[in-house]
Amino acid sequence: MTSAAAGTARSDRWAQVPPWPLIRQVIHRSATSLRRIPAGIVPVVVMPVFFTVAFSGTFSGLTELPGYPTDNILNWMIPYACLQSASFAALASAFSLGRDLESGFYDRLLLAPAPRWTVPTASVLWAMIRALLPLTITLALGVIGGMTFPGGFAAVWWLAVGAFAVAALGSLWGLGVTYRIQRQSAGGLVQISLFVIMFLSVGTVPIDLQEGWLPYVARWNPVTYILDMARCGFVGTCEWSAIWPGLVAIAGGAVLLGWWAERGWRRLVP
Amino acid sequence: MSVEMNQQRGPIVAEGLVREFGEIRAVDGVDLEVAGGEVFGFLGPNGAGKSTTVRILTTLLRPTGGRASVAGFDVVDDAALVRASIGVALQDASIDPLMTGRELLHLQATLYGIGRRAGRERSNELLERVGLTEAADRLVGGYSGGMRRRLDLALALMHEPSVLFLDEPTTGLDPMSRVNLWDEVRRLNSELGTTVFLTTQYLEEADELAHRVAIIDAGRIVREGAPATLKAQVGLPTLLVDVDPGAEDRARSAMATIGEPRPTRAGRVAIGLFEGASSAADAVRALDAAGIAIHYMELNTPTLDDVFAEATGRRLEGADASADVTTGESGS
Repeated sequence: MTSAAAGTARSDRWAQVPPWPLIRQVIHRSATSLRRIPAGIVPVVVMPVFFTVAFSGTFSGLTELPGYPTDNILNWMIPYACLQSASFAALASAFSLGRDLESGFYDRLLLAPAPRWTVPTASVLWAMIRALLPLTITLALGVIGGMTFPGGFAAVWWLAVGAFAVAALGSLWGLGVTYRIQRQSAGGLVQISLFVIMFLSVGTVPIDLQEGWLPYVARWNPVTYILDMARCGFVGTCEWSAIWPGLVAIAGGAVLLGWWAERGWRRLVP
Repeated sequence: MSVEMNQQRGPIVAEGLVREFGEIRAVDGVDLEVAGGEVFGFLGPNGAGKSTTVRILTTLLRPTGGRASVAGFDVVDDAALVRASIGVALQDASIDPLMTGRELLHLQATLYGIGRRAGRERSNELLERVGLTEAADRLVGGYSGGMRRRLDLALALMHEPSVLFLDEPTTGLDPMSRVNLWDEVRRLNSELGTTVFLTTQYLEEADELAHRVAIIDAGRIVREGAPATLKAQVGLPTLLVDVDPGAEDRARSAMATIGEPRPTRAGRVAIGLFEGASSAADAVRALDAAGIAIHYMELNTPTLDDVFAEATGRRLEGADASADVTTGESGS
């Protein structure tokens, strides 16, 4: 049998290094890089503040519309700002991957005798960890601004689940795009696509108040259901009917985008 | 099993290795075997298939045909074992400029499963070895090209590999840095017995370092052997003599018993010396006896460039890439 005919599954069979140290080290490196590029911190800190202030100010009048789910605009906008910021964490993972592919640093990671799946796994985990920072900042801003928690602890819990899910799903999408393009410029495509999918959900306006083609798109957009789940404890108490569609959207997204990222990965790695 | 089979052979073996990218065959049936403790030079122009071959041998790329083993392990079936056995310094020194040299060494130690304390000790040892102890805590982005290459070499040596791949390690370096890196490679090979697979487009580098070289062109190996043997196979050393215009034929007749004439430009005579470089003095005496004035003289022994030219019909180095190789002028 020739080498070429052999299956890919055996490649990591003899992996010499356990996966966790490699994942930890890749995350540590990403954290170090973030610390050393002050510009990298800016979107993480500034964007949630911008979203919160801009959206809450611009759309504050919406709460007076009949059928609007809350009379506190922060309760509606803060979860959206958190998820939008989480998508920026995913975007940062895609840019970072593009930079490593261009510079050849990614080859160094792939040359390690650890299972290779640990490398993209570390990217996804880093995006989730990175999402924690804007989540905390935005929530703190909300509390200062007068946000309320009618759902109690569940409000924060499901918001965190939603933010981490957006970071993970967004980074899977970003990895898939970047593995195919193998350039930092892939980040531009990831940025636009993430922004559009976030915007065409129920980010700013509830689905029943949207007009024209927007509600049709929002209804098919999985982010709508993740947002409904993330908001549940801020517009009332968290009912299962608001949570399960979000979990289904996350699970479906994980399967689909996991497959997308894996197919891209296979173009890069034998 | 491939592991057992390849233990009997050299640490690097390739048999009919092929890599296709769509319609393009970047590597086209490469066969080679590198012996343990050898510095093996892999020489060829840009785009010849050097880096693709290295990427296959280091498990970064899957071959589309043939097979290869490194350190006794199949590059596809036992890829992780191959990676555990080799050190790789790739083209462009793939180093993160936002990390310090020491941080990168610690990262590399983790990647190879070396514990924290052992990794720290090994990092210090390697920094010392490549002369970067003082720069260890500076960001790599501020390193010179030579420093980055030395750090890259140190990274490749972290887990004391038995086989070291160096992909164009001196490209872009100044002459002094290049010589320093050569010294380090020699030291590694002689002191630790590390097998080195060195790709380069610099003939001088291959000549200086390699025990054996393979020349690759358009994905195929066109020559393989010890540099001295390959050069000897190309032919005789060439003596170039500039004489008065119109005296070329007389000069050629005077030296007819010393060497065979070779084509060259007007005002110059070129002969391939039958008895080697030592008969250059006989040629001078013959010209003097014939009363022919010598304005300039040059003795060229065959180089690896001549070997490449003889094999492919093209020059590898310098401006004379399209030179007519039949002139026998090596240009060095």
